[in-house]
Amino acid sequence: MTAALELGSGESGDNLLARVRTVLGRRTEGRAVALLAVVAVVTAFLEPVVFTSYPVTLGRIALIGLVALGLTAVILMGELDLSVASTLAVSGVVMASIESLPLGIVAALLVGLMIGAANAFFVVAVGINSFIATLGMLFFLRGSAFVLSNEEPVRLANRDAGIAFGKPFLGPLTPRMLLFIGAFIALQVFVTRVRVGREFYAVGGNREAAYDAGIPVTRRIVTGFMISGFVAAMAGVINTLERTAADPTAGSTVLLASFAAAIVGGVLLTGGRGSIFGTLLGATSLGILQVALTLSGVQVDVQNIVIGLVLLLAVITDPNSVRGVVGSVRSLLQGRSRA
Amino acid sequence: MLLLGAVALAACGGDSDDGADGSDSEDVAGATADAEFEVYALLPQGNDQPYGTTYLPPMEAKAAELGLNLTITNSQYDADKQASECEVAVAAEPDLIILWPAVGDTVRPCLEAANDAGIPVTVTNSDVNPEDKDLTAAYSGPDTYGQGVASAEIFCDLAAGEDVGIIMVNGLTGNSTAIDREAGFEDTVNEQCPNVEILARQPGNWNKDDSQLAASEMITAVGAENIGGVYAADDTMVAGVIDALKARDIDPADLIVTSIGNTFLGNPLVLSGELDGTVFQSSSWDGENAATTAHEVLTGGADGDRVVKFMPSVKVTTDNAESPDVAPEW
Repeated sequence: MTAALELGSGESGDNLLARVRTVLGRRTEGRAVALLAVVAVVTAFLEPVVFTSYPVTLGRIALIGLVALGLTAVILMGELDLSVASTLAVSGVVMASIESLPLGIVAALLVGLMIGAANAFFVVAVGINSFIATLGMLFFLRGSAFVLSNEEPVRLANRDAGIAFGKPFLGPLTPRMLLFIGAFIALQVFVTRVRVGREFYAVGGNREAAYDAGIPVTRRIVTGFMISGFVAAMAGVINTLERTAADPTAGSTVLLASFAAAIVGGVLLTGGRGSIFGTLLGATSLGILQVALTLSGVQVDVQNIVIGLVLLLAVITDPNSVRGVVGSVRSLLQGRSRA
Repeated sequence: MLLLGAVALAACGGDSDDGADGSDSEDVAGATADAEFEVYALLPQGNDQPYGTTYLPPMEAKAAELGLNLTITNSQYDADKQASECEVAVAAEPDLIILWPAVGDTVRPCLEAANDAGIPVTVTNSDVNPEDKDLTAAYSGPDTYGQGVASAEIFCDLAAGEDVGIIMVNGLTGNSTAIDREAGFEDTVNEQCPNVEILARQPGNWNKDDSQLAASEMITAVGAENIGGVYAADDTMVAGVIDALKARDIDPADLIVTSIGNTFLGNPLVLSGELDGTVFQSSSWDGENAATTAHEVLTGGADGDRVVKFMPSVKVTTDNAESPDVAPEW
């Protein structure tokens, strides 16, 4: 009896272990958690100001992360959206060009949705590769931002409202941080709890199988691009409010930072794997790293080297890459031993 | 949980001497051991641009001499990035912030945050907007509008009342220096030689390749036969324009060509007669005076009034291009 119980508890223990391993095996955030742990601990010792002045660090994370969250929705489906930075710029210019602030915000967000819909049209209806379609959109929108702004920054009619927007609203949290947290929760719930969002993974993982399973792939892609466009426009609205002016050159460093956050967070560029939470972790790691390096007075060139190394580390430690390298080394060794 | 742990660690570390005042920051300037002041310099360029490369060493040397411990950032002309760097700087509570605005219209929130924290701000290279000046303690750097004026004055002298059609290559769109120089040139031409007509204008983005392309397009658009002159907002870009003219078999010496900078690229063009005139901008003066002005404000030498130090806008033509007073620096 005792032996049977011991055997039973051993089996259930093995089952639990197996289940935990399966769940962990499905998660893609492992590397992002490890990186965040390393960055957080090292920074806490070397540049404690990063954490004691946490509102500043949260602000940087929100700056990097917001566009990345929207971009993740597109990447999960195996598509790319290179137009996010230009969407940010043009939506800001549209907003600042309208005297009424509420009307300007609504117009800017609508512009973001329309850009997303246009990108999706070229990808799903015309059949252009998303890299090419959104690259074209990137140039079109950047040019439009210059034309609409008359090639100069456009000031907000109500600068005081903009300055007030940049101040803490709830405790130390500014509206930018609150909107970032809101966007994270909304997108996390959407891709994990809502059927439409969960189907993004199926579209990115195996598009043919998704078609066969009756998933409306076209509609899902349209939804993904519209989310990306909307979130980028939201970032444009926030930036314009906080800076009290729309800059047609805005977002020059946003595109690469957003992709970096998603990749460091474990989102697979070919689609089907990754998570919104992973992107949040990636943005947090990069945000802490950037603030720490800035506080240390490290030149921007060296900062780029560090961030590039982190990105490479994130890519080469991907289990698929590691398995590929191990497989190649094994076949090389086997080939040599046969020879 | 990780972040909470890190915050707890940071709180312990924050009690030490090298904590929140940022005094453990890398000593960029290699300042002397008895550095008296912590200073953040929020710049939009550094060693990634020719001007920044020759601006930084004199600034760092002068800062070390005056006891300023510099922490330098480079936003690469991204206004959002500079705003974020400003937040970091304010959080580090330095004695002073030196600001070179990436985009003049967007710096007010940064200035207000520094003001609220009691941190004086001095401006270098490109001044802030008039309504934001009361939030800053000083400005040192070129009179960017005056440089456009000086370049136009050379042009008007050479036009001598003749009808001249010109093409204009400006700096990076939205950049305050580009806007001021363009306005200075255009206002002066309208006032002093209204016979000079601007036929076309395009941004050259402060680089030679973009400028060459822009000039080539404008020559095609307006017709080579209608062009009697060129204005470019700096020497790097004027070199691109001259190459574009030569590619169309147009001799630049037959046109009136003016620019701003008197750089290593522009000065030989003046001597060769391809560039009729340029305006000397000294990057070493600029960098050195950024540190000197900051020190003056920190030590109370400013008497409470806003200090303004304009770099002299010296015109450089074939008459004085070889003078050691205007020897190019960048």
